[in-house]
Amino acid sequence: MRASQLLLQLFQQPQLALTLSADSWVHLIRLLRQQQQLARYAYLFRQAGVFTQLPQYARHHLRNAEIIADKQYRQVSAEAAELTQLLAPLQVKPVFLKGAAYALQQGLPAGIGRTFSDLDILVPKEQITAVEQRLSVFGFLPEPVSAYDQHYYRKWTHEIPPLRHHSRGTILDIHHNLIPPISGRAPDIRRFWQQLNLTADGYQVLSLPAMTLHSLIHLFFNEDFKKGFRDLTDLHLLFAGFSEQDWEQLLQLAEQTGFMFELMLACRYTSYLLATPIPAWVMQQTEQYQPSKLRLRLLDFIFLRLLSPQHPLLNTYLDQLAALLALIRGHWLKMPPQILFGHLSVKAFCAVRDALFGKHQFSPKRPG
Amino acid sequence: MQFRARLTLAPFNFEIITDLPLVAGNLCKMYPDSIRHNESLIDYSLTVTKGQGIRRLFKPQARFFADTQEPFQPLQLQQGYAMLEWGMNWCIAAHEMQYVIIHSAVLAKGDKAILFPAPPGSGKSTLTAYLAFNGWRLLSDEMALILPFSNKVQPFVRPICLKNRSIALAKSWFPTGVFSSIATDTHKGDVVHLSPPAASWQGALQQAEIVAVVFPSYQADTNLDIYSLDQTQAFMQLARNAFNFGVIGQEGFATLTAIIEQVPAFEVQYNDLKAVAAFLEQEVLADAR
Repeated sequence: MRASQLLLQLFQQPQLALTLSADSWVHLIRLLRQQQQLARYAYLFRQAGVFTQLPQYARHHLRNAEIIADKQYRQVSAEAAELTQLLAPLQVKPVFLKGAAYALQQGLPAGIGRTFSDLDILVPKEQITAVEQRLSVFGFLPEPVSAYDQHYYRKWTHEIPPLRHHSRGTILDIHHNLIPPISGRAPDIRRFWQQLNLTADGYQVLSLPAMTLHSLIHLFFNEDFKKGFRDLTDLHLLFAGFSEQDWEQLLQLAEQTGFMFELMLACRYTSYLLATPIPAWVMQQTEQYQPSKLRLRLLDFIFLRLLSPQHPLLNTYLDQLAALLALIRGHWLKMPPQILFGHLSVKAFCAVRDALFGKHQFSPKRPG
Repeated sequence: MQFRARLTLAPFNFEIITDLPLVAGNLCKMYPDSIRHNESLIDYSLTVTKGQGIRRLFKPQARFFADTQEPFQPLQLQQGYAMLEWGMNWCIAAHEMQYVIIHSAVLAKGDKAILFPAPPGSGKSTLTAYLAFNGWRLLSDEMALILPFSNKVQPFVRPICLKNRSIALAKSWFPTGVFSSIATDTHKGDVVHLSPPAASWQGALQQAEIVAVVFPSYQADTNLDIYSLDQTQAFMQLARNAFNFGVIGQEGFATLTAIIEQVPAFEVQYNDLKAVAAFLEQEVLADAR
């Protein structure tokens, strides 16, 4: 069996881990580390009550990842507290998104063992400059980005270039919308501002359905699926906690904001790859948004591959083709042709330059 | 031509893949055959490879990968081997959380070990090399792996990284020593790696007990000055040199405080290695129960 299929099976039946040979563990650990899924699987094995019976080799690596994830889990509330406090004088209460939001909700399965490299917050667009300025006074400084990327972020996207805390190294992404407005698909963000929850500690996050919708929009608007499998498991864990009412709200919000197609994809691929329990009536409603058979086949070709665990060691030419198609699709979704053409010209220029002079020669560097 | 080797650097197993003859050559020189095992379960798979692009024809680069991750910017090709050694250190510091890891040399006589934590430029590696070739057993030049809630340290035997002026000194002291080729002009200056003596490699599985912490500080104009540190000073200095202190939290704190409460700590300013060795052997080790 291909290692990626084995990982999909283990996700559904963690107790199968007890049957694996030593050699397959070497492969699996490597794959899981590359997919940033070691800690999440450690959690699955613990839940299934098999962790302590795993071979020492597997426990060693899973435990390392668990310790790192636990630290992040603890740290994220300190970061959230500081940000909330720093922005209070501006009358801005940030909404924590994605990984940080999962971790801030104690006990939410999607947050346990979920590592993330940056903290994402949503603030009102008209306040974003004030937020940026205030945070920079308190040590969140802009990461070096090229002049072109700077322009690209500010003009076309839904966020500003990342900030980095000068001593802790925390990377902060500040959003004013969930996807780039230039895509023409950016939702009326007020709909999401009406879907807020407070965590037990008083931090602001999106409601479970809105958070899940954001998670799936983010996944299916991507052009890069290196973390596709992780994002798919996020969706599974979020869906698994849904009540009937949550499903209704999710469908309603997806309908209002125009993301039924993406919701259809999310239901299709989580149930196909991870056997996620999705109510039949939800499947039926979303299936109405399926495209023509041919297009659906093409989407299946891309996503069944890219949402499975990926590793260069395993990838076939077909996987590479799928990645290429996804790259094209993702760009196409994000930008209208004339903007895309300009963007690709600049990126092609940079690629040729790097080929000539070596990678990183022209990458902007941090001072000092 | 691709070179592959599996190295058992207890307690970890590495797989090294490289297409650079410089890296392959140095690896074979630095690591004895006794630690090559083909049946071990690989913990980390590392690659050093030539940078791509037309640039490789006139100004070639070396790139380091831990599996698919590239933690460093490319370096000059001639620095490829040093890059691999640093990459191995990075790999352990970034992933291993079940030891309290201190940026420190560790040397032992029998099973009594001394930690030598120190910032770069303190002469730590020169002292390490001197002791390792004068009857001490090297457990590590760069990182002390301490077992949590104990004062036991796990060897992680690797070549010693010598910098700048200490290279010529070491070559004159140990004419039979096995040295790597030189990597010039790195962020640490010129560096050379020195393979530790056979006895150190043979002791790679033998844990030792920490009996003292010594902070070395090379001072050109001081023959030998010894300061006894109080527990607070010693703890702060140790914590400052701890790689994963922030991540492992409580466990790390408890371990380091227990060690500091149990063993003496000194700062040693010196320019005479012989005098330091005499102090360590006659005073520090002699007092250790």
